[in-house]
Amino acid sequence: MREVSIVGIGYTSFSPVTPDLSWKELMFEAATRAYADAGIDPRKDVQSFITCAEDYWEGFSIFDEFTPDQLGAALRLMHTVAGDGLLGLANAYMQIKTGLFDIVVVEAHSKISDLLTYEDVLMLAFDPIYEAPLGGHPHYLAGLEMREYLAWTGTTEEECAAVAVKNKWNALRNPLAPYGAAIAREDVLSSPYLFAPLKKLEIAPLVDGAIVLVLAEGELARRLTDKAVLLEGIGWSSESPWVGTRLPDARYARLAAELAYAQAGITNPIQEIDLAEVDDRFAYKELQHLEALGLARPGEAGQLLLEGAFDLDGQLPVNLSGGSLGMGDAVEAGGLQRALEIILQLRGEAGARQLPDPEVGLAMSWRGLPHGSGAVAIFRREA
Amino acid sequence: MEKISKPTEIKHQLGHMEVDHYHYTVGLAGERFFTALREEGKLLGARCESCGVTYIPPRIYCEECFAELDEYVDLGLEGEVRSFTIARIDRDGRPLDPPEIRALISFGEDTTDLLHLLGEVEPEEVYIGMEVEAVLKPKREREGKVTDIRYFRPIK
Repeated sequence: MREVSIVGIGYTSFSPVTPDLSWKELMFEAATRAYADAGIDPRKDVQSFITCAEDYWEGFSIFDEFTPDQLGAALRLMHTVAGDGLLGLANAYMQIKTGLFDIVVVEAHSKISDLLTYEDVLMLAFDPIYEAPLGGHPHYLAGLEMREYLAWTGTTEEECAAVAVKNKWNALRNPLAPYGAAIAREDVLSSPYLFAPLKKLEIAPLVDGAIVLVLAEGELARRLTDKAVLLEGIGWSSESPWVGTRLPDARYARLAAELAYAQAGITNPIQEIDLAEVDDRFAYKELQHLEALGLARPGEAGQLLLEGAFDLDGQLPVNLSGGSLGMGDAVEAGGLQRALEIILQLRGEAGARQLPDPEVGLAMSWRGLPHGSGAVAIFRREA
Repeated sequence: MEKISKPTEIKHQLGHMEVDHYHYTVGLAGERFFTALREEGKLLGARCESCGVTYIPPRIYCEECFAELDEYVDLGLEGEVRSFTIARIDRDGRPLDPPEIRALISFGEDTTDLLHLLGEVEPEEVYIGMEVEAVLKPKREREGKVTDIRYFRPIK
């Protein structure tokens, strides 16, 4: 059976604004670093390129036609996934797994600071007939879901606030995370209720940045580098697009994880996974996602968090990168942000936040409001 | 790589992405829903007999079994609050005073829920399970839109 490995990673800094570089230049910078890391020439060695983007974030249409040149992909096979970076990774995984290609590149980025009307554009993702005409700030949907999640599971506002405290603290140890802060739970709890029970400090701020991953078939990967990281499984799922049809249990994450676990041969995720990076664009989502992924029993993630289980020295460190609360919400690059931390940890390159000896890591993404779609990837260090 | 290090030398150009003008088709189920709302002041759902689920807003398909649906049922104007949030800023980040109360309204166990607003109630009075009723615009002002429902208010 063919294996799939990550043989190169490249990324820019993550910053609230990037006034000096165009989005294409951000991609070029990340790609150049990834190809140097993998020791490959994109013009000769890469057989397929995949970008992940949404036209409305970019500010022009038919984004996919704008991508080849800055990736070294002109006149090569390439396509764009209109979704999160982990979906692009899933496409690359399949292209290698099937034997179609041996080296594939995946890119995702955010130049969201170019967008001056983010909230209005996010509102365009709401149903134009039944939801958008009701107006409002689009984040209200997170407030609605959070209240129901709390009611269902008995999770407390204090536990949700502790997610923001942990992730912003972790971000202080990550030079790539611009939103690190040493704050107390009281700071989060006393920040304004923007969409009660959701508070201001529980909402991830936006960020710019680009990430490129180079994937290779397992045997080839071992010849290319001694720091290959295996991508052992990847799953994805989409729930009903209707808010009123979904329950506050992130079923998309559970279904995506079931597929990824089956591919990776994981039967007891709590025992087998050493660290996880999960979507936390709204603080409560981290707890909801951990429960959906089977990394905590329903309603218990918040208590485990308060006990320190998800800290750097806990039994399952979660979002050591700082998550989106610490690194920033990088729109479609969110999933690759999560994956990047897992790969750095498994390569032993995570600096001040490096775990002693991690073997298996999980990265999970959520497409974001107002949707119920997500993806899960499982990575393993080469033995 | 050489980079721009002087902020005064950084340039950008303002643009406008034209996405303002669409003609959104409400479709077969939408036609039934909005006509009933405008003409009769009723809220219709589409029922799937085999799954026992009623969809509001109605659709012509069941998302569980993929059956085509053509049975419309009058759900009445009364429901209860499934969840709610108090929105204190508008889309431009400006404070809202009074705040908006946004809610998912449930019309029963086997019915999907409707996103809407609450009115004639103070934020601190709202609770999950609160019984509410739709307040419709007067018939002459109704346009066949979801905003023909002004909001839902507590049943006194």
